[in-house]
Amino acid sequence: MGMMLTIHPEKCTGCRNCELACALEHGGDFRIKASRIHVYAWEREAFSVPMMCQQCSDASCVTVCMPKAMHRNPATGLVEYDASKCIGCKMCVQACAFGNAAWDALTASILKCDTCDGDPACAKICPTGALEWTDDDLAVQARKKSFATKIKNAFSEAQS
Amino acid sequence: MNGWMGKILRVDLGSGKISTERLDPKTARDYLGARGLGTKIMWDEVDPNVDPLSPENKLIFAPGPFSGTFAPSSGRYDVVTKGPLTGTIAASNSGGSFGAELKFAGWDAVILEGKAAKPTWLSIVDDVVELRDASRLWGKDVPETTEALYAEASEDSKVACIGPAGERMVLFASIMNEMQRAAGRTGVGAVMGSKNLKAIVVRGSKGVKVADKDAFVAACGEASRKIKEHPVGGTGLRLYGTNVLVNILNSIGGLPTNNFQTGHFANADMVGGETLAANQLQRPRGCFACIISCGRGTKVTNPKYKGEGEGPEYETAWGFGPDCGIDDLDAVIKANYICNELGLDTISMGGTVACAVEMFDKGIITLEDTEGLDLRSGNAEAMVEAVRLTGIGEGFGKKLALGSYRLASLYGHPEMSMTAKKQEMPAYEPRAVQGIGLNYATNNRGGCHVRGYTISPEVLGVPVKYDKDATEGKPELVAMFQNLTGAIDSSGACLFTTFGIGADDYAAMLTALTGVKYTGDDFVKCGERVWNLERLWNNRSGFTAADDAIPERLTTVPMPTGPSKGAVSHVKEMMPHYYAVRGWDAEGRPTPEKLAELELA
Amino acid sequence: MKVRYFALLREATHKREEEWTRPAPDVRTLVNDLVALYGEPFAKWVMKDGDLYGFTAILLDGKDVRGRGGLDCSLEGVAEVDIFPPLAGG
Repeated sequence: MGMMLTIHPEKCTGCRNCELACALEHGGDFRIKASRIHVYAWEREAFSVPMMCQQCSDASCVTVCMPKAMHRNPATGLVEYDASKCIGCKMCVQACAFGNAAWDALTASILKCDTCDGDPACAKICPTGALEWTDDDLAVQARKKSFATKIKNAFSEAQS
Repeated sequence: MNGWMGKILRVDLGSGKISTERLDPKTARDYLGARGLGTKIMWDEVDPNVDPLSPENKLIFAPGPFSGTFAPSSGRYDVVTKGPLTGTIAASNSGGSFGAELKFAGWDAVILEGKAAKPTWLSIVDDVVELRDASRLWGKDVPETTEALYAEASEDSKVACIGPAGERMVLFASIMNEMQRAAGRTGVGAVMGSKNLKAIVVRGSKGVKVADKDAFVAACGEASRKIKEHPVGGTGLRLYGTNVLVNILNSIGGLPTNNFQTGHFANADMVGGETLAANQLQRPRGCFACIISCGRGTKVTNPKYKGEGEGPEYETAWGFGPDCGIDDLDAVIKANYICNELGLDTISMGGTVACAVEMFDKGIITLEDTEGLDLRSGNAEAMVEAVRLTGIGEGFGKKLALGSYRLASLYGHPEMSMTAKKQEMPAYEPRAVQGIGLNYATNNRGGCHVRGYTISPEVLGVPVKYDKDATEGKPELVAMFQNLTGAIDSSGACLFTTFGIGADDYAAMLTALTGVKYTGDDFVKCGERVWNLERLWNNRSGFTAADDAIPERLTTVPMPTGPSKGAVSHVKEMMPHYYAVRGWDAEGRPTPEKLAELELA
Repeated sequence: MKVRYFALLREATHKREEEWTRPAPDVRTLVNDLVALYGEPFAKWVMKDGDLYGFTAILLDGKDVRGRGGLDCSLEGVAEVDIFPPLAGG
């Protein structure tokens, strides 16, 4: 069992505090273009979704990384990035189907969520719980339960 | 610099000349940014007697030092100019991410001068600044314009633009950023339109630097905790939005109804925040770095008023609702959507329709004048159509586009315009709440609630309860709120952070961020400096004590119905003491001593 | 006497208003009875340390009890009591 960042887009207000906390944690200032998490907004519909590394089990970024800078930590199950081994080929950027690895020209390094070593700043600052750092199996259960609650409420309202 | 980016961008739209200037550290320290910095630039560079819609007026976009950081709920910016609706110095404040993105591109302010020869948009990508042709965008509404610019520039850009209303120089046109957030008041959108500037598109890759990271994290954490633990900042606003105020204002008899003819509306609850939360609300929304989330993502499914977007705020729901005698929330929200799409200030639009409705009900204007628009009180469909016509400049909308003061004057009844300095007053009846009337009368941008929000103590009891009917102590309260808000606006913080934190908290965050030492008193002093500079500007452009007034109706006609029945506003009686509290002479002019104290002499 | 609830108090009571028939000579009696009836979800927005929560507005025919006696205000002759939990906007 490991930990994962769970996204609840229905709770996301689009405030981007997660981007700010991530940028400060990793770069020491608020350069949010270098944040490892980004919030995408659909302004017409007033909806937004945060996106960051999904820590894939079968991670294409790991597969394509020749110097093994991108590698899986067997203890945590997370995909880690070792900047000292990175040759800057940007294959991981090209391989990630989610677009969650990016090249930062300023620091000449790959930007990818490192979960702040197991204490993600984004989840800590999120004011609405749209980002949660949870057990990876329980996270799914919580989502199930939250959806079950909606069904229950719909039934209660229909009956009252 | 820390907090500030240290640079100002100057764009001459006429010649196309683009230049960069250094932000003077003393100016930054004394005026913070946003509203304060913009006002200082206007004071230094523009004749207060300038025609607001002429090329000689300037239009300044400025974020504050907090913008672009995680100081809680503090990512805002101001648009500063001379306002065409009021003729006063005007600063209109907006949230979203646009102000923060300006910082990320490296700018503390963008000064726009002159007038472009043809429709133009301004592209800012870090230091690369270009003027581009906007002919194809002219005439498009706000969402269409924004999407076209995302496609042409970059999806990651932030867009601030005008809609058809700004192009036509509707005197209360707004500037909209990210489609849903508005620099709404005082007609800043008309100034942008007068300059042939359709949009500013900005994208930045820089970072806002912090002087003392640990201290800043600690100060923001503390401020954040206080806001979250406050029942209002932490819970109430996210659940119900600002529109939760409809019912309490109605219950005290302070909900202006039918163009301020009275202060109580029987069906108020039908347009209130609770009804909104139960029906049209999709989800709460937050501006950049917000932890409060008062924004309302909403959807209307009723085919007659179908749409989706953000809003309404309390003032919007009131303006299109009770102030026009309307209790149909779907229609109210539709009017809000139209304002966002066409680029109109919802408060002045609501107040202007309400004025027309009163004149229609009293037979001063007829169906002939309105070109067939049946503007009797309570007619929701006609109200929505009136808003649309104003935005697109057709029919009776061409007259509504002038705002209520000029509209009512056309028909010989300026007394029916519920304005202060020609700007429509918001949703709080001065007869029912004494302090807010004094704030309207003395506000540097006319009828405006956010720059001296005494409703907080007078009605809500935050931070402590004041007697709303008393006049004693109100001049002091109004001046204190006006000064504090001057500093908050200039810092980039949202006014709603005051539901949790005070001057010392802002000072602690500002000190840690910028490395410049501020006490709580220093912070408030910045606000007082801004207030007095705005006052100097207004006095120099011809405003006198006689303009510090609210409509006669409110000071002479007792409230006819509701819980505040019989009350009148005592603004006139409070004014001499307000001037004294301010350190101004009997004519409302800052004394040399006051100016010296504020380093404005 | 009509008692009306707003915002979170509608969640707590599942009502918008009700006709109150129990004897209630003053606000204290009424509030104590309401707390007993609706429990903690109601009490937490209305009471604090045995007194009225400073941010809570109880209006007697439109007049706020704060600064005018608070819980000791008489309800004699009052037709409508409006109770608002802490709220704000702007």
